[in-house]
Amino acid sequence: MITSDLKEELRTVVPIERIKDNQEIENSFGNSGKIIVAPATEEEISEVLKYANAHGKKISVIAGGTKRGFGGVNETEDILLSLSNYTGIVEHTVGDMTLTVKAGTSFKEIQDYLAGYNQKISLDPSWSEAATIGGVIAANDSGPKRLGYGSARDVVIGLRVVYPDGTVIRSGGKVVKNVAGYDMNKLFIGSMGTIGVISEVTVKLRPVPKYESLVLLTFPDGDLLEIKSFVVNFLDSVMEPITLEILNPSIAEKLGRQKRYTLAISFEDVESSVHYQEEFVKRIKPANADIIVVEKDNASEFWEKFYHLSPRGTEPGHDTEATVKVGVVNLDVLKIIQKAEQLSDAYNLRIEAHGGLGHGLCQVHLYGASEDVEGAIKELRIYATSLGGYATIKHLPLVLRQKISVWGERPSYFFLFEGIKKKIDPNKILNPNRFIGGI
Amino acid sequence: MAKKGLQTSDKDIINLAKIVGEKAILYKQPDLVAYDCDGFTIHKHLPKCVVFPNSTEEVAEIVKYCDANQLPFLARGAGTGLSGGAIPLNGEVIISLVKMKRLISVDLENRRAVVEPGFVNLKLTNSIANKGYYYAPDPSSQYACTIGGNVAENAGGAHCLKYGVTTNHILGLEVVMPNGEIVEISTNGVADTPGYDLLGLLTGSEGTLGIVTKITVRILKNPEAKQTVLAYFDKVADGSQAVSDIISSGIVPAALEMMDKTAIEGVEAAAFPVGHPKDIEALLLIEVDGISAGIEEQINQILEVCKKRNVREVKVAGSEEERGRWWANRKTGFGAMGAISPDYLVQDGVIPRSKLPEVLARINQISEESGLRISNIFHAGDGNLHPLVLFDARIPGETEKALEAGSACLQVCADVGGTITGEHGVGIEKREEMRFVFTDREILAQTDIREVFNPKNLLNAGKLFPSPGRCAEVKKELKEALKTS
Repeated sequence: MITSDLKEELRTVVPIERIKDNQEIENSFGNSGKIIVAPATEEEISEVLKYANAHGKKISVIAGGTKRGFGGVNETEDILLSLSNYTGIVEHTVGDMTLTVKAGTSFKEIQDYLAGYNQKISLDPSWSEAATIGGVIAANDSGPKRLGYGSARDVVIGLRVVYPDGTVIRSGGKVVKNVAGYDMNKLFIGSMGTIGVISEVTVKLRPVPKYESLVLLTFPDGDLLEIKSFVVNFLDSVMEPITLEILNPSIAEKLGRQKRYTLAISFEDVESSVHYQEEFVKRIKPANADIIVVEKDNASEFWEKFYHLSPRGTEPGHDTEATVKVGVVNLDVLKIIQKAEQLSDAYNLRIEAHGGLGHGLCQVHLYGASEDVEGAIKELRIYATSLGGYATIKHLPLVLRQKISVWGERPSYFFLFEGIKKKIDPNKILNPNRFIGGI
Repeated sequence: MAKKGLQTSDKDIINLAKIVGEKAILYKQPDLVAYDCDGFTIHKHLPKCVVFPNSTEEVAEIVKYCDANQLPFLARGAGTGLSGGAIPLNGEVIISLVKMKRLISVDLENRRAVVEPGFVNLKLTNSIANKGYYYAPDPSSQYACTIGGNVAENAGGAHCLKYGVTTNHILGLEVVMPNGEIVEISTNGVADTPGYDLLGLLTGSEGTLGIVTKITVRILKNPEAKQTVLAYFDKVADGSQAVSDIISSGIVPAALEMMDKTAIEGVEAAAFPVGHPKDIEALLLIEVDGISAGIEEQINQILEVCKKRNVREVKVAGSEEERGRWWANRKTGFGAMGAISPDYLVQDGVIPRSKLPEVLARINQISEESGLRISNIFHAGDGNLHPLVLFDARIPGETEKALEAGSACLQVCADVGGTITGEHGVGIEKREEMRFVFTDREILAQTDIREVFNPKNLLNAGKLFPSPGRCAEVKKELKEALKTS
């Protein structure tokens, strides 16, 4: 079918003003669509899916576009379903500390609104002004504060999901504790939009902490064993860090610090507790480690800057840019960061890497010539796998994604993923090939 | 256990005994009676037999045998479940996991431990307490319940307000699938492994998707300090309002429990009385933990809130011993109802916190209409109510009346935007009440998932979901709708 016919047909299911041709001239990330449809209601989302499902059309789902380079090997599908028109807060019950919001709402907009009530969603994704809540949940994005507050699976209490057949499924609910039926929320978190379009998200909120500070500990000798011994000691204490993130020298420099391995340790609590914990770090830190304590707004500014480190993927520069997420057993994060340093030399790349020593997740950003990026990613994956972990690619141009597997090897239980996909989206209309093993 | 030599000609029992050994199978009627129900005692059914495997491989062999021979089967831990999830409705082969109770490994540096499913919840905390660590989920039955059962039910507890329920602490699982295949998901505890979140799906699936044979859990460092407050209120409304005020003041208490007048009467008549006044309408048990330097400020704030809400008396536990007594009184609250009533039925609804006064008033109304006393012991901080319907099973018709009253309480929870179970699970008990919160299409979406894992539905069939009739119809309707679209 030619594009104009598809457009005509779509007009029969959603208002004409929701549909437009995709004018994008060049897009190096793929995951595009010939026609852009931006529904304004859940019913419209449902109609588009129903139409596509019945007519063998494929859909790529988008909202803020920050994850364009994340997963997928196809340049374009028939329809680019954009949730950017489906925005706004549906319900905020201040006393219950729960919030229901439409999926296309920008994450920052929600946080700004909640700040007026001294509340927040305790997730810290990258590029929050562009990223939408739906995208953050669908891609299971998280930041260093996951150590203190958990990730999307700990925060989401309810979803509305439009299934490929157009029906709307509610999972979870609006209460913070719920074991009625299967915990279907979990199925959609991190599902990369492959089994349904999340239309509404209900989250539990937290109070904005009364006080916060950030302790930056710089290790001039670059001795990772020394860092490890400090971290083990610190983690065995009763302190309650919100982040315990190791920054490689390049990231530390980019954030205005010395070009040295640096630990970023956040505390968020009542003021007396925060200061008490800062003092504790000062007491147990190795003598040669430099320490600075950044208080209140300065701490949040640091993190704001931090959340804008990753390549965003909308304006390709000269270098190939990539982000790899590595998951390993907590303390093995140090080995990954060290490996990243070695790869930087071996492949002549600029590599910015950080990782959470209390949760085991690293982000490695690579910048350089395409073949070097490719080689380094492959080597990093082999290394992570040898540690019992994994490496998945969160951001990479399409041509390279077609060469290097985004998700790595299929696990032995892949048949369950396949079974779930087949049950919910038998015609493979949603984000085809975007997820692990070609799901 | 069986004496030497099997005294049966049943080929399935003989074959299962070959897998686990003759001493690890029960099949005689008198032995099976103990397995005809779990903590939900209203519904009973005898199993075909009970086998006691000692390893993952034995579990897999048993499951393969059942699968090949069309024998229904289910897994059972300590049998403390309150919704009937381990009741052999279809005369199942019960796979008891009590022999698989080893603590396999503890890795304090990476804050993880690996246990077998039969390992008792509290034992984990006890095993690591000397190093200053603990396992957070603390259901009231933690002295007996197993971590395998906790995973199946996604168990909660008093302290999950701050620390989350079981699912928030599960890092990895080894699972025997309903066809006997052994699957390992993030057993080394690595987070966010690529793919759909099977850990999340399996946790709370009430033993219908697979049998968990190894569990990797997160362990936490004990908080530096904790303080516990007890507050007595003359009016329930003041107590509920205090709950809301505490939460909205920005404090995240470790626990925030409430008991009403009837509940207080029960716990004071039972084994762990603490001398609560009998004429108050509600008490709150509030615990704050964390860095010692910050605790006092939060406690002061809590005391202020209580005073503002007309508290009659409020006190901070003066010693660990006193705190322990307060908690023992609370944690044995359900059983304590036995002191004031021959029988009781525990319910488990969840409501948005702000609806507490309204819902308590409506539960009171249900109590009046049914003529049955209903006491309330609950996790007020997260809106998880436990109405306890007191009744006497010896009086004809009263059991049914109690079940109806319990169901009516759940309807109230659903009506105000809540749900029918917060931590006890659906099991047999609340199958029909699933319709209070889910449409048939939504239930179908869930049974579709079950079909992926458990296509023959031999594993723990008949649990969790309402009778299938209507679901099948929906499926048909959907198919037809798709054809015509």
